[in-house]
Amino acid sequence: MNKTAHRIYLSLLSIIVLLAFAAIANKGYTYYKLGIEDRFFHADHILLKPSGIWGHGMGIIGSLFMILGVLLYMFRKRYRIFSRIGILKHWLEFHIFLCTLGPVLVLFHTSFKFGGIVAISFWSMVAVFLSGIIGRFIYIQIPRTIEGRELSLNEVRDLAGDISNTLTSTIGLDEESLKIIVNAAKPKAQLQSGNFITRYFNKKAENRKTLATVKAIMDKNNLPKAQRLQVINLVKNEWSLNRRIERLVLMQNLFKYWHVAHLPFALVMLVIMIIHVAVTIVFGYRWIF
Amino acid sequence: MKFRIKHIATAYLFAVLFSFQANAQISPGELAKVHSHLEGLSNCTQCHILGEKVSNAKCLACHTELKVRIDQNKGYHSSSLVKGKQCASCHNDHHGVTFQILKFDKDKFDHNLAGYKLTGAHSKKKCADCHKAEFITDKKIKAKKFSYLGLKTECLTCHDDYHQKTLASTCADCHNDEKFKPASKFDHQKTKFKLAGKHEHITCAECHKTSIVNGVKFQEFKGVKATNCTNCHKDPHANKFGQNCSDCHNNESFTVVGGVNNFDHSRADFNLEGKHLKVQCKSCHKLKLTTPLNFKNCTDCHTDYHEKQFAKNGISPDCSACHTVKGFTEFSYTIEQHNAGAFVLKGSHVATPCFACHKKLDKWKFKEIGKTCTDCHENVHENFIDPKFYPESNCEACHNQNRWKEVEFDHKKTKFELEGTHTKQTCRDCHFNKEKTGHANQKFVGLANTCTNCHKDAHSQQFDNNGVTDCKRCHNSDSFKPATKFDHNKTLFPLDGKHINVACVKCHKEVSNQGVTFVQYKIKEFKCENCHR
Repeated sequence: MNKTAHRIYLSLLSIIVLLAFAAIANKGYTYYKLGIEDRFFHADHILLKPSGIWGHGMGIIGSLFMILGVLLYMFRKRYRIFSRIGILKHWLEFHIFLCTLGPVLVLFHTSFKFGGIVAISFWSMVAVFLSGIIGRFIYIQIPRTIEGRELSLNEVRDLAGDISNTLTSTIGLDEESLKIIVNAAKPKAQLQSGNFITRYFNKKAENRKTLATVKAIMDKNNLPKAQRLQVINLVKNEWSLNRRIERLVLMQNLFKYWHVAHLPFALVMLVIMIIHVAVTIVFGYRWIF
Repeated sequence: MKFRIKHIATAYLFAVLFSFQANAQISPGELAKVHSHLEGLSNCTQCHILGEKVSNAKCLACHTELKVRIDQNKGYHSSSLVKGKQCASCHNDHHGVTFQILKFDKDKFDHNLAGYKLTGAHSKKKCADCHKAEFITDKKIKAKKFSYLGLKTECLTCHDDYHQKTLASTCADCHNDEKFKPASKFDHQKTKFKLAGKHEHITCAECHKTSIVNGVKFQEFKGVKATNCTNCHKDPHANKFGQNCSDCHNNESFTVVGGVNNFDHSRADFNLEGKHLKVQCKSCHKLKLTTPLNFKNCTDCHTDYHEKQFAKNGISPDCSACHTVKGFTEFSYTIEQHNAGAFVLKGSHVATPCFACHKKLDKWKFKEIGKTCTDCHENVHENFIDPKFYPESNCEACHNQNRWKEVEFDHKKTKFELEGTHTKQTCRDCHFNKEKTGHANQKFVGLANTCTNCHKDAHSQQFDNNGVTDCKRCHNSDSFKPATKFDHNKTLFPLDGKHINVACVKCHKEVSNQGVTFVQYKIKEFKCENCHR
């Protein structure tokens, strides 16, 4: 899958999620905005109530999406026989898609009524969802191989420093200019002091200053526009890499702890969901079956 | 590391599971307040049947009062709209404590489906006006905070018995739903007292009186006596005419009276007698028969014919003082009463009809008709008798009141005193001269005192002396014959001898002269041979 196809694929998944959310929200807006006591008397109650054709359906389908999303990704990741099917990154994206669309459907299944034991399942789901977002953030902070394997600190450091080679091989710059740009891309030790807020703003200011210097050098060398963009991207990529290197150990630790949250929440959600489904079936609510 | 994660996850799961109260964990939401006693895991099957959602049977197992109704096929829940539906399709739950488990559009509710169609004023009422505990008799339902059950369809379930059990409880037989008053369905014609005439137009309250009974307003409808008019109507006649008002009155109007022919006027204060019996009612009762009349005096109806001729000090005596009801011309005025007045009736006046004196003209007149004879009688002697003989035209100077012909006149007052048989003659014999026509001409004045003025000279003027025959020389007043005063010896031929005993007629023969036959007394010659042969 090339980059464009991948973007279309991601966009499609996002659009599906957004459309599903928008369509259901639109359909049930007047119903969902009512108080719990008044919903029974809404014309769409029979459809949208948690045990209604739509409501119950959304619960079942949403749950299946989540189970499927978890299982597919888990099997792909953990079992060797699936390890060669597709790129893990794409499976993760599909996992994120199903586990986003699923909670959306489950959210409407609950009709925003969060009570009883199943609320634990719901809030666990919310926790899983939110932790998933956090996990995704942490995940992208850890550089990986194209297969998704985490790079070690040394492997990451190897990635850095190639900028001077790139600059000299593709863009013709004088030695002094090259040196200034390479230095500009290097991490600055004086920016490691203070708290994370002051650090953030100091770094932003410094980066703006550095970028202005780089741009001035490029002006001086009369670089064409394409090359100017390439240089700026190289510098920014280098900053990003530097940032990742700075955070790598932290992120790797965070990622370990993230699993402690993400997985148990998922398990809680699943167990209670099973109880919920069992109770539902026991009491005779079988949706269309 | 993986081991640790699994342990943390398991611990978390258990912690979460047991951190909630087990009771509420599988409930999809809080039960409504009325069902709050059913909260809890152990109570699920109070309403739910496993595998069959919510069962009607479960609902009705608690709501027995409703089940009774449904079993009886009565009420809203037995209507075609509800029948076959799940209870929970209308009365759902698990929507929170404040959820209205019984909610419907009260304004659009078709009460007909409840088995009691709301019409008239009922359709304008609020549910709670009728559906309230005080109208519910069933203790179990009454004890509930609120229920639409338990009301009976009988009117008295909600309405006070205005008639206080005096009438049947089937109010709708008489009343409709619109208004309690008037009882529009009530047909008085079906009662023992059928309304007719004016009775049809009066308000109920006029006969059915309202009072306070048991502390509340009560109008009497049952047991109202209607056997007689006086049960309701005041008898203005104070029972003078008995109790059968309808003998005279009808239902249309008290003042329009019928049955007049049967009316016994004697029961009124004015008994009809005499002529009054034949008088048309209208003659006296000019307005309505029932309009009060003054009847104390005859003049209350009758005009005073006499135009106050008998009034004293301006007040006329009642007609009945003289008249009776037998007729105006029949009266009770007696001669004694008349004689007590200024003109005492005597003699033939007693027998004289009243009108002879009192109705000389067309009109009767009783006052100032005069007391003297000539006020009534014609003075027939006027210009014939010198008024000095009957001063002030007083006839009684000669006549009396017994008979006109009975005349007592002292003829000595005249120049011609009556003597002898003159005293035995009637006035007419001398003073009236009958014509051949029979008309008698009176003559009192200018009569000569000579006999021949009245008497016929039987001697055919043989004894005239200078044209005057003085009968008294021979005759007296007692009798014409014999001529007692005649002395034959004083004649030219005195009688003597045999002549004394000779009958007069022997010498004085009847002779006729010019058709007049008379005895010849005066003899011209006294020769014997004139008599003797």
